[in-house]
Amino acid sequence: MTDAVVNQAEASAGSAGADEEKQADERLTYRGVFQRLFIRPEIGALIGVIGLWAFFWAVSVPFGTAGGTASLVDFASSPLGIMAVAVSMLMVGGEFDLSSGAMTGAMGILVILLSLEVGERGGAGLNLWIAIPLSLAFALGIGYFNGQLVERTKLPSFIITLATFFVLIGAKLGFSKLIVDQVQVGDIREASGYEFWRRIFASEWQRNHHQWAQRDRVFLVLISVIAALVLIAVAEMQFARRRSSGSAIGVPVLAIGAVTSVVGIAALHRTDSVAGNVLGAGLIGAGTVVGLVGLGLWRFEPVGDRGGIRLSGRLLQWLVLGVVSFVLAMVIAAAMDPYDDTNLFFPFTHQGLRATVFMVLAGLGLTAMSLSLVHARRVSVMTRTVVLAVLAALLGVMAFFVRSQSVSVKFRAEAFSVMLAVTLVVIAWVVLGFLFTERNSVDFRSDALGTRLLVIAGVLIVVAFVVRLLFTLPSEIEAGIIPAKFSVRTLWFAGFTAVCVFVLGKTRFGSWTFAVGGNKEAARQVGVPAARTKTRLFMLVSGAAWLVGMLLAFRLNTIQANTGNGEEFEYIIAAVVGGTLLTGGYGSALGGALGAIIIAEATLGIPSSRWNSDWRFLFLGVTLLLAVIANRSIRARAEAMRR
Amino acid sequence: MADTHLLELDNISKYYGNIVALKDVSTSVNAGEVTCVLGDNGAGKSTFIKILAGAHQQSEGSIRLNGEDVTFANPREALAAGIATVYQDLAMVPLMSVWRNFFLGSEPTRRLGPLKWIDKSKAKRIAKDELMKMGIDIRDTEQPVGTLSGGERQSVAIARAGYFGAKVLILDEPTSALGVKQSGVVLRRIVEARNRGLAVIFITHNPSHAWPVGNRFLILNRGQSMGNFAKEDISLPELTQLMAGGAELEQLQHELEAAIRESSPQS
Repeated sequence: MTDAVVNQAEASAGSAGADEEKQADERLTYRGVFQRLFIRPEIGALIGVIGLWAFFWAVSVPFGTAGGTASLVDFASSPLGIMAVAVSMLMVGGEFDLSSGAMTGAMGILVILLSLEVGERGGAGLNLWIAIPLSLAFALGIGYFNGQLVERTKLPSFIITLATFFVLIGAKLGFSKLIVDQVQVGDIREASGYEFWRRIFASEWQRNHHQWAQRDRVFLVLISVIAALVLIAVAEMQFARRRSSGSAIGVPVLAIGAVTSVVGIAALHRTDSVAGNVLGAGLIGAGTVVGLVGLGLWRFEPVGDRGGIRLSGRLLQWLVLGVVSFVLAMVIAAAMDPYDDTNLFFPFTHQGLRATVFMVLAGLGLTAMSLSLVHARRVSVMTRTVVLAVLAALLGVMAFFVRSQSVSVKFRAEAFSVMLAVTLVVIAWVVLGFLFTERNSVDFRSDALGTRLLVIAGVLIVVAFVVRLLFTLPSEIEAGIIPAKFSVRTLWFAGFTAVCVFVLGKTRFGSWTFAVGGNKEAARQVGVPAARTKTRLFMLVSGAAWLVGMLLAFRLNTIQANTGNGEEFEYIIAAVVGGTLLTGGYGSALGGALGAIIIAEATLGIPSSRWNSDWRFLFLGVTLLLAVIANRSIRARAEAMRR
Repeated sequence: MADTHLLELDNISKYYGNIVALKDVSTSVNAGEVTCVLGDNGAGKSTFIKILAGAHQQSEGSIRLNGEDVTFANPREALAAGIATVYQDLAMVPLMSVWRNFFLGSEPTRRLGPLKWIDKSKAKRIAKDELMKMGIDIRDTEQPVGTLSGGERQSVAIARAGYFGAKVLILDEPTSALGVKQSGVVLRRIVEARNRGLAVIFITHNPSHAWPVGNRFLILNRGQSMGNFAKEDISLPELTQLMAGGAELEQLQHELEAAIRESSPQS
């Protein structure tokens, strides 16, 4: 029997080299691009950010303007965003820090007390060049203390940091009263070295002082490049690479398509006439489809068997539900008076209810169509093409409906263009899917290329919106646009998030963080310094609290003794909404940042939609519940045994 | 025993207060051989592993590695000496990807000035190749270990121990929670590891798993050694008999038969 076992082992080792053998392995099933994307912890949060943004953009006036975005970004950045990212890291490592909220205020108070003049106002009289590093050292000390206490006593961090939380609250109030005899301390403006540090922690960018006439042209170019990158990336990841060498016709066809699209964009930008718009949009559409077909001819395997159309059971059910929802959305929107902004019932006006019902039904329709598409993919290429074509038609009709029915410019122009663009993408997909084979096996080279293109596109998206947000046009100033201020706090938030994403995803420390959160004993077995890793995570959170404390002090000048108390739960909500597991071992730093943006959107979006802002907490609670339930299923899927 | 063995245990005993957990146990293992440690629950198998893995220290007796006396103060020292232990349930972090688990604690890094990051492509490539050598074809090393079957998880842990230079591999009941087919997979990995020149100590309570792969069998019962046999000196039925406590099993058999005889006339 021993010999038989060995022979079998050798046989399986020997066969492993051949590619065909690997693909025949029945234990592994291929996951498509979208399926793989949905395994990422932060994807739910990303959808939430975009969905909420679209919703509030549609129902409220200031949301989405430069000024509205400025306050949204600032709210999301500090204290919420920076802390949410740090807390996400700690939670991935399997611990909580309930003292993190109180610590932000404590650090602000500490730096002010250290830097105020000695005398009746009771400071230590240190220069900010000394006070700021000193307060950082103190913050890291608290983190070290928390971490060591949790590690040495083996008590839950929940209890340990709850104690630290109360210690900090008491210390903040006690020392403030003792030293300055008030429940607030200030003013940091009088400290020596203030001017330099104000630039570091509290500079601002006045949008109206920065004009750039070329802004929209640059934005347009960037958006076009991004669209092209995303289309090519997803095509690369979704379609099978050609087996035989590529057809040379593809390259010139691709070039013709690209040139046509560029001409279309230029035409759209130059003319304002209806005929010009139609011509431009038509050129872009034709160019995109031709270009993608060219790409396909060059690189992708043509489709073999398209199969027949079979609309059965579930598929038909979802398809019908999708179509009905879309039609119902349009019928209801058409029937209601768009100008009536009288109160219908709390919290809706007629206008608001119309927009909400329309958005909800449209969202429902889109979801149903996606589900029907999932079923159709399993049936045949032909069936999938039909479902996609129905979707494209619905989206197109929807776009023109929105254009014809809307009163405000933002729907007539912006929403219309976005919806047309989406329609275009779906049409391109119908054509590509009809002509070329979708991939059903793993191809690391294509995946690597696709991922790289998507990352570049992501960076360009940020650049495009930064350009648009930071600069004004001379014409906008003439029209009397409301000024918008961006703060350096957002830069700190972005930088901190980038560092944490790098650390968690790419470094040994990041790997160890996942390990100590997921299975501490296993990690220790293979030589991971578990105690040190956890202590450093606590220090990361307290370091973040220090940063937030500095940002608060330089923004507000005086700090209340209760600043930050109780905010730690919002950080935890942001982390959980961002896909981090409460039990540790799974999550992402980027997710924490996205969770913070969701909370900011709700906080600012609810009052700007003229709802009572008290609803915010109800919203937070419901969001948390939904996020935890969603996370649970993600974890179940990730941990599930294969059959 | 004229020549020196890779790892040799000589009359190991372990007392916890007045409790005798292990008494005068001796065995040995050579490179390219499998020594199976068999015993029922409470036979002292866990104590035996913990002493070898450095988690506990023996009260009496000596451990010789390449003929030299050694004592391990903690698991790290045992690991550094080339003794890797794969525990049944503590082997892996289920939510982490295969390659991260494979390299956990010893990640290969690249460096640019003060920045140091994991060389992901190298780690993935090595993990894939090493697993391939063990006959496990993991197409995407990004998949979480939790999605692997129990047998595959044990296999990944074995491959990892081998790659990081273990000379002696201790496996703690790797097949006990697995089905027949999965157990076969793990047994195949044990043979693979043996063929690559590792000395394997395979702890199990299933003689039919031990028999095909073992070169030497140590049978424990209630902390006592019931014998330390080379494969040619013992047969599978004898092994099973010994493991179950020989005379005790016969006693049990008689009692059961008596019980059946008594109850059958009435029914």
